[in-house]
Amino acid sequence: MKIIKVSWRNLWRNPIRTNVTISAVAICIAILIIFQSMIVGLIEKAKFNTTNLIIGEVQIHVEDYFDDRSIYKSLQNIEEIHSVAKENNIGLVERSYGFGLISSGTKSAGTQFWGINPESELQHFDFANHIDKGNFLTNTSLKKIVLGKKLASSIAADIGTELVVFVQGADGSLGNELFYVSGILKNMADNIDRGAAMILREDFDILFSTNNLIHEIALNSKGRLESEEIQKLVSAKTTGVDVETWQQLMPTIAMMTEKMIVFMRTLFSLIFGIAASLGVMNTMIMSTYDRMREFGIIRAIGTTPWRILKQVSLEAILMTIFSSIIGVVVGLSVALYFQKYGFDVSGSGNMSFGGVVMDPIWRANVSVGIVFLPVVLMILVSTVASIYPASIAARIKPVEAIHYKP
Amino acid sequence: MNTKREIVSLQNVIKNYGHGEIITKALRGINLKILAGDFSAMMGPSGCGKSTLLNIIGGLDRASSGEVIFNGKDFNILSNKDLSIIRRNNIGFVFQNYNLLPVLTAYENAEYVLMLQEIPISQRKEKVMYFFKEMGLEGLENRFPRELSGGQQQRVAIARAVVSEPLLVLADEITANVDSETAQSLLELMKKLNKNNKITFLFSTHDPAVIKFAKKIIILKDGKIANEQMSSENIEKYTQK
Repeated sequence: MKIIKVSWRNLWRNPIRTNVTISAVAICIAILIIFQSMIVGLIEKAKFNTTNLIIGEVQIHVEDYFDDRSIYKSLQNIEEIHSVAKENNIGLVERSYGFGLISSGTKSAGTQFWGINPESELQHFDFANHIDKGNFLTNTSLKKIVLGKKLASSIAADIGTELVVFVQGADGSLGNELFYVSGILKNMADNIDRGAAMILREDFDILFSTNNLIHEIALNSKGRLESEEIQKLVSAKTTGVDVETWQQLMPTIAMMTEKMIVFMRTLFSLIFGIAASLGVMNTMIMSTYDRMREFGIIRAIGTTPWRILKQVSLEAILMTIFSSIIGVVVGLSVALYFQKYGFDVSGSGNMSFGGVVMDPIWRANVSVGIVFLPVVLMILVSTVASIYPASIAARIKPVEAIHYKP
Repeated sequence: MNTKREIVSLQNVIKNYGHGEIITKALRGINLKILAGDFSAMMGPSGCGKSTLLNIIGGLDRASSGEVIFNGKDFNILSNKDLSIIRRNNIGFVFQNYNLLPVLTAYENAEYVLMLQEIPISQRKEKVMYFFKEMGLEGLENRFPRELSGGQQQRVAIARAVVSEPLLVLADEITANVDSETAQSLLELMKKLNKNNKITFLFSTHDPAVIKFAKKIIILKDGKIANEQMSSENIEKYTQK
C-alpha cells in the first residue's frame, strides 16, 4: 500500500470540494500560461520591431561620434565590417548624417539630413513601410525628401511641397538645394519625428560636398543572432570604432522591456499563486478537520507526525499535479491559438511610441519556460500552503483526536 | 510462584484534568500489573476512569504522577516519538466505533500497522491472510469499511490490532455497538487469539458478557481499583450506573 494511493483516495472523499479546488488551481495555471505568453509575445515582438524598424541590432560609428556629430567623423576601412556581415548573413545599411536648415514658405526648422540607400533600407529595415503620407524614396528619387511627421507639421509641408535646404558643406561652402516632399513618416521616435529629413546618398553628397562619407553602419540579423553576438563578431575585426548593441544605444527601452517582462510575470504569478495557495489551504484545512478522528487513530496505532505531514502535503501536491495537467492543456491550447492567429489590436490607433513599434496583431509567444513556471510555482505554493493544515494534523494529540467531534 | 512476564506495571498513577481550582481527578492512585497472557477486563460505572486508564497504559495519554512501566520502559521519560514507536510495535488498539480508515480496504486496514513497521510485502500478506482466515474474514479483503457490517468491521479492527502480534491489545468497549450474538463471537475469537497466539488482552467494558471470558476482572470505582480478581457474582453490584 503506497502513501500516494492513500493520498489519492483521500482526495476523492469529498469530490465536490476537490473538483472545485482543482478547477480553481487549473484556471490559475491556464491564465498564467495564456497571460505570460501574451506578455512575452507583445514585448519580444516590440523588441524585434524596434530593432527591425530603424536602429538595427548593432550600430557602428567612429569613436565618440555621439559626443560631437561632426560631418567629418566618418567611418574608414569598412570592408571588414562588410565581410563579417556577409559571412554571417547579417543585413547591413550605410547612412550619412549632416545638419542644416529646411524651409517652406515663411517657416523653417533645424534638421538632421539622412543620406540613405532606399533599396538596402527596404531590404533590411522596416521604417520605409511606416509612411503616413505619400511614398518612401526609391533609388531614382533624386531631389525628393521624406520628412518626420512633426517636422513636416512644423514647417507646414505636405506631399509635393517645395522645400529650400541650407547646409554647410564639408568643404566649408554653403550648400543649398530645392527638394520636393515625397513622403511623411508615421510617428516613430521623437528625434526622427521632429528632425529627420531623408534623402538619397547621391543627393547628400552633392548637398554637403562629400564623397561617400559614411557615419553609421546599422546591422540587422532580424532576430537570428543575439545583438551581443553580432557585436562580438564585428569588434573582433575592427579597431577605432564604437560597436554598440541596440540595448546600449537605447538603454531606457532595453531596460523597460526587460523589466516589464519580469514585473508583469512576477506580479501575475504572485496574484494567481496567492489565490491558488489560499484555495488549496482552505481545502486542506477543511479536509484535516473532517478527518481529525482518523488522524487520532493512525497516531494511536503508531503513525509518526512526519508521515502524517507527508501524507497531507502529498494530497495537496497530487491535487496540484492533477490541476496542472488540466491547466496546461487548456492554457497551452489557448496560448497556441493566439500564437498562430493572434489578437487584432490594429484598431487601437498609433502603434509606435518612443521608438518602440507595436504589431497590429498581438501574438502569444509560447515557450517551455512559460508552461513550466506556473506548474512549478503552483506545486511550490500548494506544498507551502499545505504545511499549515498538515502540521495541524501531525501535531494532534491522539487521545483528543479519537474523541473529536466535528 | 507467578513466573509470567510483567508487561505493564502501574505504581500510584494519578491523572488530573483541568487547571487551578477546577480539577477533575480521573485516577486517584492506581496500582496494577498486567502479565503476559492475561485476558483481563476492567469494569466500572461511567466516569470511573476506565478509558483514562486504558489511554495511559497505551501511551496515548500521560499520567499526572506515578510510574507507568511498559515492557521495562518508563513512559514518563519517553518522548512522544518514542511512545509512537512503542505503540506501533507493541500495542494493539480496538476501539468502540471500529475506527477503520474509510479509504482503505479491509486488507489494507489490517496491513497498515505492518506497513508502518516496514515489514516486507510478502510477509505482510502472509500475516494478514493468516489472521483473516482465523477471524472468518476471507473473501472480504477488498471491501471498504462502508461495505462491511458492524461485526465484520469490528473483526477487521481486531485483525488490525493483532496482526503484528503485539505484547498487549487494549480493547475499549468493543461490544458496545454490536448485537449480543456478534459480541459473543468476537469474544470467542479474542479468547482463541489469547490462547493460540499468546496475545495479552485488556478490555474496558460495561458488558457482563465480557466478564464471562475474562481470566481477571478489575473493578474501578471513582478513579481507584476497588477490586481485582473478583468473582463474577459481584459484577452487577459494581457495574450499576
